[in-house]
Amino acid sequence: MLSDSGLTADDGYVLLTLFLLPMATSVLLMFTPSRERGVIVGMTAVSSLLMFVLSVYVFAQYDYQSGAQFQGVRAWDWITNAGMLGDDGIQLKVGVDGIGAAMVLLTGIITMAGTWVSWKIQHRIKDFFILLYLVAAGVFGTFVLLDLFIWFFFYELAVLPMYLLIGVWGSTRKEYGAMKLMMMLVAGSILIFTAIFGIISATGVDSFDMVRLFELAPDMDRKTQLLLFPMVVIGCGTLAGLFPFHPWSPDGHAAAPTAVSMLHAGVLMKVGAFGVIRLGFQMMPEGAEYWAPGLIVLGISGALYGAISALRQDDLKLMTGFSSVSHMGYVFVGLGTMNAIGMTGAVLQMFAHGVMTALFFLLIGGMYDQTHNRDISNFSGMARVMPVWAAFFVIAALASFGLPGLSGFIAEVHIFIGAFRAYPVVGGLAVFTAALTATYLLRMFASAFFGDPVERWRGLSDITRAEKAAATVLASSIILLGVWPSWWVDRISTTIAATIPGVTL
Amino acid sequence: MGMEQAWLLPAIPAALFVVIALFHRVMPRHGDWAAILGMVTVIGLSAAIVLDFQDGGVNSYSFEWLTIGNGFFVIDFSTYVDSVTIVMLAAITIVTLMVMVYSVGYMHGDTRYGWYFAVLSLFAAAMLTLVISGNLILLYLAWEGVGLASYLLIGFWWERQSAAEAAKKAFITTRIGDVGLLIGIILLWRGAGTFDIQQIIHFAEDGGFDEKYLTITMLFLFAGAAGKSAQFPLHVWLPDAMEGPTPVSALIHAATMVVAGVYLVARMLPIYDEVLIARDVVLYTGLLTAIMAATMGLVANDIKRVLAYSTISQLGFMFVALGVGAITAAMFHLLTHAFFKSLLFLGSGSVIHATEEQEVEQLGGLRRKMPITTVTFIIGSLALAGIAPLAGFWSKDEILVATQGGAPAFAYVLLAATALLTAVYSTRLVLLTFFGEPKNQAVHDHAHESPPIMTVPLIILTSLALTAGFLALDGVGEVLGFAGGIGEIVFHGEHGHAYKLHFDIAAAATASSVIGIVIGLVYWRGRAERAERARGWAPELHTLLVNRYYIDHLYQATIDRVVLGLASVVAWFDKKVVNETGVDGGAQSLGYLGLRLKFLQTGKIPNYALGMAIGVVTISLVAFGMN
Repeated sequence: MLSDSGLTADDGYVLLTLFLLPMATSVLLMFTPSRERGVIVGMTAVSSLLMFVLSVYVFAQYDYQSGAQFQGVRAWDWITNAGMLGDDGIQLKVGVDGIGAAMVLLTGIITMAGTWVSWKIQHRIKDFFILLYLVAAGVFGTFVLLDLFIWFFFYELAVLPMYLLIGVWGSTRKEYGAMKLMMMLVAGSILIFTAIFGIISATGVDSFDMVRLFELAPDMDRKTQLLLFPMVVIGCGTLAGLFPFHPWSPDGHAAAPTAVSMLHAGVLMKVGAFGVIRLGFQMMPEGAEYWAPGLIVLGISGALYGAISALRQDDLKLMTGFSSVSHMGYVFVGLGTMNAIGMTGAVLQMFAHGVMTALFFLLIGGMYDQTHNRDISNFSGMARVMPVWAAFFVIAALASFGLPGLSGFIAEVHIFIGAFRAYPVVGGLAVFTAALTATYLLRMFASAFFGDPVERWRGLSDITRAEKAAATVLASSIILLGVWPSWWVDRISTTIAATIPGVTL
Repeated sequence: MGMEQAWLLPAIPAALFVVIALFHRVMPRHGDWAAILGMVTVIGLSAAIVLDFQDGGVNSYSFEWLTIGNGFFVIDFSTYVDSVTIVMLAAITIVTLMVMVYSVGYMHGDTRYGWYFAVLSLFAAAMLTLVISGNLILLYLAWEGVGLASYLLIGFWWERQSAAEAAKKAFITTRIGDVGLLIGIILLWRGAGTFDIQQIIHFAEDGGFDEKYLTITMLFLFAGAAGKSAQFPLHVWLPDAMEGPTPVSALIHAATMVVAGVYLVARMLPIYDEVLIARDVVLYTGLLTAIMAATMGLVANDIKRVLAYSTISQLGFMFVALGVGAITAAMFHLLTHAFFKSLLFLGSGSVIHATEEQEVEQLGGLRRKMPITTVTFIIGSLALAGIAPLAGFWSKDEILVATQGGAPAFAYVLLAATALLTAVYSTRLVLLTFFGEPKNQAVHDHAHESPPIMTVPLIILTSLALTAGFLALDGVGEVLGFAGGIGEIVFHGEHGHAYKLHFDIAAAATASSVIGIVIGLVYWRGRAERAERARGWAPELHTLLVNRYYIDHLYQATIDRVVLGLASVVAWFDKKVVNETGVDGGAQSLGYLGLRLKFLQTGKIPNYALGMAIGVVTISLVAFGMN
């Protein structure tokens, strides 16, 4: 089935299916009676497995050597020759580059794992999946769509159901968390929306075709780029947890149900970073060059700020939330280096942090469902009570602080090297942050995992079979990227070198 | 099988780690035999590599791991085998096998017996990778791998909170050093454009680096070495690491992992020769650590902690040797130390196994009950003290000779004094443990000699502690198939030299060792009240030493007050300022604004008319103003 020529135009249907499938699943679920749990589980099982297989196909089939960066490109007309729009107008246009392919794979993995662990939800499971799959559709759409208008629609589709998902199925201060997340993200969206029209009008094209924009937008006059670039960075960066626009993130993650935390921290934050790359770096090189130092400052500040805050968190989910802020800070450090090594590292970090943090949230959820408690200080000796759970937790933690052989190291070493090429001091701080990360995670282990088990938790059972299976998928991804990084590096670095104007080696 | 196939060495234990970790529950004997057989194979392969050994070094490329920009940035996994590797292989493989066999007895009946052997295999894989790596990224990978294995093994009995804390402390402390190591590696790449160690060395020798840049880089690199090899100021983790099972202490925290730092500096020594300031830092760090640790070893009461301080001190000796550029002496001492120190640790393990007690104040008089352990332990101690013709004598002599020739006189004097202290604390340890009257009768009654599975490794290591020093002699080296003694095997640059006994220094060193032993004999002779008297002799000094120069206290206070304090401030800032004031406050002020503005909608026409009038006037004024 795999051919040499990369993704062909016919593979455009595969890309189309990637987001139509979860949408269709959502719609079908609406017409399924809620009492039919078996049917709901079966449908989501099939659907998520298909998404996973297709995403693996897209990633494997993407040929970085073919010369064409955007592959599987295919377009269907929607609105043409209306208003100021020309022949292309607004299209349904799909296609991926190496970055998109990696992100599609990430989404496939996490959607499947998130589906498996959500089958144990008792309260309104049907409605939960309807909304969850809308998010999945939104995310997949953002990664494969090449028409800016529809891209933005899917970007919003990925964000909006979060409000209900957190508000209805969440825990601890869920209304507050949901509201805060939604308000901040929508505020960011306003900036993005404005920036999109700014780009369109400044470029003077008569369509929203991103492939044309990638060619024409870089020629925008410098002043416009300097104005629009920070709008994109702040708008999309809010979703990516960019310091100091991160406050929604720890609270939102802490309040969200397990699968939503997984999808949100695992994939949705990457949509934000992806937006920064797409609209910012790929379209506005002069703006990027001007603002890159600022981006690096925010990135490294966020990395340190998140890690230091995480040292003092007692709630496991809040700790992981701040950890996400810290790790996403690395992404912006990598992007701000403006060299191929650092930027490749940024995208690798998006993938690595995605699977790693999804595993964290999966495990925390598996424990919380039994204990309804997440405070580190209330636990001790958990490695004895829930050994498998603890083993997976250790793997995620090791990946988190960059142990070689696991995903985090590959990403971090690229970012560090890129940073040292651009600004050695930032590189040094970034390496130091990894030591801080080890500190808060190992402190947590020493107090919650080791020592004698507390009487109160002796009766806990280990994570369920579905959770074990999902954790295995995520842990395998962590190890695979760790030991065989070239599959990712080749695709990502080639695209970065070819599609981001002004990037150096 | 030759030097090109060196990658097979770590591949075997790595595969065994996976197999044993996953299937130890269903394997007969939980897979201990698999780990041991694997290690036997590795010894065989290492022997084949030694036979194939030739001068220089052999660089073998296995494969390209990843690359960016058509070879601009490449990480490839290559192996490099030279004389330094050979010495490391000898130490690692022999001690690992001995420790594994010994562990069959020591760990018998442990609930995580299979997991223990799995992690030992993981450690062996990482350690072997470390020493055959020709490339800094692969080296770093292995470096962190041994750190992980060390973490897992120190915390092996993690139900004990102290073990969990010790594992954490060890990992974080070495991790701080590793920050330096990784920065150093990246800086080397930034200058030389490659991770290949030999290419970097050539680049440095050709003067490719700016001198200041290289000095800073090599100091960063040394931070990593100091962390792993427990040198001041990062030495604090090693005594605590004694929480792990004793065979682990023998293997990882005496013979192999802790010498990784020495190995790293030895590997990079040609570059350190280019930047003598950095080399001097190595020298004086080693010297300071050697003295400090020896003095702390004088007063420690835990048998394993005494040995831990001794290890730190001996590692200091090796760094001193490297600091004067004497790679032969450093590697020689590394080898002999691996044998006699693992012997001592396994001996202490035998005592702990027999008595379930490791405080010397509870021991004493064990020589009658544990004859084999006693004799082997004494031989190990004599080797440590540097009594001719045991192993430690030859290598320590070599270091003293090199120091006399290459460092200021005071360094030599201090190092010789440390050698004397070494003899004192070894004597004290032997006396308090094995001689005199039993201090705790209940413990003593419990004691028995360990089973053969534990004593046989002791005897084998004893024979190595007795004989390894003869490797200094050309005749011995030639019998083993080398061009000559250790001086012919390990050398760098033109400094290749045959081992020559410097009678003056050897005599002085032996004399000081004997004096040290006599001091120890006179002072302790196994009686508790004599030990008390040592305390009364200089109480302030004693307190200072017992509290480890308050360095641990200082670090703990720094972490509690400064690091966690800062974290509290940041967390408070995030909660109060960013969230409650910024985000919530912003939302609330919008809400409040709405609350106020709603009163503008009164429903009364005159109000609206007034508003309109004001608006019209304002706009007109602005419009006129702009014109």
